[in-house]
Amino acid sequence: MNIKNEVLIRIYIVLALICIVAVIIFGKAIQISVVDGEKWRARGDSLYVKYLPVNAERGNILSEDGSLLATSLPFFEIRMDLKSTAMSDEVFQQNLDSLAVCLATHVFTDFTVGGMRGYLEEKRKKGERYLLIKKNVSYTELERISKFPLFRLGRYKGGFIVKRQSKRERPFRMLARRTIGYVREGAKPVGLEGYFDQILGGTAGKQLMQRVSHNTWIPINDLTEIEPENGNDIVSTIDVNLQDITHEALLRGLNYHQADHGTAILMEVKTGAIRAISNIGKVKNGWSELYNYAIGSATEPGSTFKLAAMMALLEDGYIKLSDSINLEQGRADFFEEVMLDASYHRLDSTTVKRAFEISSNVGIAKLVQKHYGRNNPHGEKNNGSRFIQRLKDMNLHIPLGIEIEGEASPYIKDAYSEKDGWSGTTLPWMSIGYELTITPLQLLNFYNSVANNGVMMKPYLIDQIQNFGEVKEVFKPTIIKRKIASKNTIAQAQELLAAVVSDGTARSLKSSKYNFSGKTGTAQINYRKFKPKANIRYQASFAGYFPSENPMYSCIVVITDPKQNGIYGSEVALPVFREIADRCFATKIQLHEAINLTPKPKLTNNKLPVGTVGKVEDLAQVMDQIDLTYYPFTKKEWGVLNARSDSLRIQSRTLSKNVVPNVNGMGLRDALFVLENRGLSVSINGYGKVVRQSIKPGTTIKGQTIKITLR
Amino acid sequence: MSLGTRIYAELRGDRTIWMVVAILAIVSILAVYSSTGTLAYKHQGGNTEFYLLKQFAFVAFGLFLTYICYLLHYTQYSRVAPVLLLLSIPLLVYTLAFGIEMNDARRWIEIPVLRMTFQTSDFAKMALVIYVARAISSKQEYIKDFNSAFLPIIVPILIICGLIAPADLSSALMLFTTCLIMMFIGRVDMKYIILLFFLGVVVFAFLIIIGHLYPEIVRSDTWISRVQEFMTNSDGDFQTQQAKIAIAEGSFFGLGPGNSIQRNHLPAPFSDYIYSIICEEYGLFGGFVILLLYVLLFFRVVSIVTRSPKAFGAMLVVGLGVSIVIQALANMAVSVDLVPVTGLTLPLISMGGTSYLFSSIAFGMILSVSRYIEKTTA
Repeated sequence: MNIKNEVLIRIYIVLALICIVAVIIFGKAIQISVVDGEKWRARGDSLYVKYLPVNAERGNILSEDGSLLATSLPFFEIRMDLKSTAMSDEVFQQNLDSLAVCLATHVFTDFTVGGMRGYLEEKRKKGERYLLIKKNVSYTELERISKFPLFRLGRYKGGFIVKRQSKRERPFRMLARRTIGYVREGAKPVGLEGYFDQILGGTAGKQLMQRVSHNTWIPINDLTEIEPENGNDIVSTIDVNLQDITHEALLRGLNYHQADHGTAILMEVKTGAIRAISNIGKVKNGWSELYNYAIGSATEPGSTFKLAAMMALLEDGYIKLSDSINLEQGRADFFEEVMLDASYHRLDSTTVKRAFEISSNVGIAKLVQKHYGRNNPHGEKNNGSRFIQRLKDMNLHIPLGIEIEGEASPYIKDAYSEKDGWSGTTLPWMSIGYELTITPLQLLNFYNSVANNGVMMKPYLIDQIQNFGEVKEVFKPTIIKRKIASKNTIAQAQELLAAVVSDGTARSLKSSKYNFSGKTGTAQINYRKFKPKANIRYQASFAGYFPSENPMYSCIVVITDPKQNGIYGSEVALPVFREIADRCFATKIQLHEAINLTPKPKLTNNKLPVGTVGKVEDLAQVMDQIDLTYYPFTKKEWGVLNARSDSLRIQSRTLSKNVVPNVNGMGLRDALFVLENRGLSVSINGYGKVVRQSIKPGTTIKGQTIKITLR
Repeated sequence: MSLGTRIYAELRGDRTIWMVVAILAIVSILAVYSSTGTLAYKHQGGNTEFYLLKQFAFVAFGLFLTYICYLLHYTQYSRVAPVLLLLSIPLLVYTLAFGIEMNDARRWIEIPVLRMTFQTSDFAKMALVIYVARAISSKQEYIKDFNSAFLPIIVPILIICGLIAPADLSSALMLFTTCLIMMFIGRVDMKYIILLFFLGVVVFAFLIIIGHLYPEIVRSDTWISRVQEFMTNSDGDFQTQQAKIAIAEGSFFGLGPGNSIQRNHLPAPFSDYIYSIICEEYGLFGGFVILLLYVLLFFRVVSIVTRSPKAFGAMLVVGLGVSIVIQALANMAVSVDLVPVTGLTLPLISMGGTSYLFSSIAFGMILSVSRYIEKTTA
């Protein structure tokens, strides 16, 4: 046979083989498509696969000082896929015994090892793909179980399925619950959780899941196809301590007066940051935060609104605080309507200031009616519009745009508007806080502007958005209006509010330790003119700020429908305000004047912490904190404190790397760090600073155990 | 003169093979575009055109490579073969040690500047086929001899296949089979070929033992479980079942282009299981045409060999042709559940990557041979 023919014969053989394989492949395709076609098409409908969302981890809500107000606690569900395609019989049999031991001792404690072994074998035979191992597993437990034999081989070879779930927790429970809010399926999102849902929620991932039974889906691959992007954290302006104080004080007040509900807000004057916001309502067996009254409920404020009326009069220059006015013993008629002062007095003639101090309805209403009503001495025909304009100049008619859904808009009637039901009695009644509505937060913001010398800040609840501690966005304080009234008017408003506390309706609870300013309010909730007095319910309030001289916080307390122990703002709301203010003073060092503004005493040698060893940075920080003068003599990492006649110096202390260092004078944390980093085992005795070490400095390190004594 | 006739006039060489290349290119764009929906959704935010354009670029670049290789005289390849072979050994070792791990296997390295992944076994495969073709053709006079012909040929085969096998058994087996067939056609003594076959079995057994001791080096666990699954489960595992559902859904004439459902359920519808998607969208008819194209390619290879049976060119064509056809048959055999799951792509159809480009080069080389043989015989 010649070469050419031999090659050709051989290549024809190969060609024939290839043709045969091709025919077999196509034959198999025909078998699948035609012969078994029905079976596979039917399977196509049942073997259902789809992408299911993988929830992202929701961000935390932190308080101003970093405490967790709301967080997601992860927990896990562990399942086992005993029919995983990558789990070979050999591997299963090899690990079966040890897995059975682990499961029977740690998880299925009512099983014997043999029973567990049989159970697993039986489930594998049955082809169980989603065997429940344990629900509600914590992270540490998950870590342990994932190390079990077989499971440690992972999703494919070990059939180990982990489903992550999470639960929203509020570590401070009821505190600011409504303001923190929630997002729940089937309910309207509420509070910060609701408002910042997008930021907190992150982006859900996707994972390919396969349906193994009616409603059970298991992941096909080990990894998520699209990783979820975790949500951002938000840092709120809420101060947990102040929130706690406010909550407790309000709760005590509500309990004592058996009121229906109440709200208290504490705001930082200079910035508008809300430091505490509490809403408590009565429920069947106790109290709960169910509705954000502070933001969502606009009501007729009553006497607290008189401040606005007075400021309008002052701004227009119609009155002076020293003007005299006839209070007509607390009873006056306006167009056949009778207005009474809330508390009995026999005053006829007094000053405007005094009328405000004692919260005389008659006094304020008469002034407003005289200057803005018909036949006013200014010759203006429709001067009521001027009054309304003054209120609008103080932004009392527009919502604040707080970061929470559901802020109620304030309601101020348009002047002479028939639609709004403007009548002859509107002006006098508006001046004392009726025929208009406003939310507690909006009213507080008005008082805050007075405290802030006329600058109206925007109240806000969110300071920062963070992601794993990295600051993404900072919300700075915003000014709504630079000047709500002239300097002179603001000064007189502040004088009036101070006088209410020193000589007026709030006099009974003035403090000897500090000054606060504010205004009481007692509004009739369901007053319908001509109704018998017996059924009337009240809303008691107090709005103000402290300390009067340099206001730091403004605060409003509103308590609705008190049923015991009084109804007046001064009896019901003021004590709560006072308690909040007192406890703010007790906790906030910034509210106090420094008592050591005198020159520093000279250092005396004998009582100084001489010989202390530590990081130079730490030593310097401590010195700064307690305000001692010192001289940093070194820029090295470690230092020792030395005293020279009248001064403290930080001098360098060298700690050798390769031999046992001298740790005398160090605190325990530093000593442990230094010694263990050099490979020594440490045994400890006593507390304080190191005074003795069992191995001399300079000895070679060979992994010895060193004994240190602290005193 | 129209564009078509101009191309026809310009392109010499085997026109049937040119036609196969052209049809495969069109099918590739259609099938890849249709099957990358989930991928686009996962990585490109639903922008399916991304993969269409990417594959379009791959096809264009592949055709360009084919044309370049077709222009070069095929004897040039013979000259560089030993260098390429020597280069591929350190590349394979590097890949095994430091390659990028994907799906538990280290088959890729990253090209630093282009940030593209590169499957080194494709390069080694090409180098080995050219080398073996050269060795067989140059030793034709004493091809039945053991020391002077057989040994120099098999040593590189065993080294290269042994280096590819730990991470990519199917590629190694395929390459080994290709070499066996080349030697068979190249008139190597049958008893040596049988010897080599058993040598291969021994090496394979050795790898399984290593894999048992060091699972992170050799993936023998995966091989065993796949074969076990194939032997025990007559319906096949999850992905195989999905592939069969796709073929069954397609029936005779398919659901039509772009109407595949199973592309959402198959793990790699654009590469390993693209044949199932083609069957689903174009039916058994479409599947038959694709199969026919590869068989047709081999018919043309045989026809080239009949014209010049001794030369290096003939052996080169046999080697490249066999490797393409075997890979194609293996890929389709997986889709119809004739063999256990492998990671082999369908040459010149599956979505881009190194294997697409090397297939293009292989076609170019075959065409180069056909062109110059045409010249000499004409």
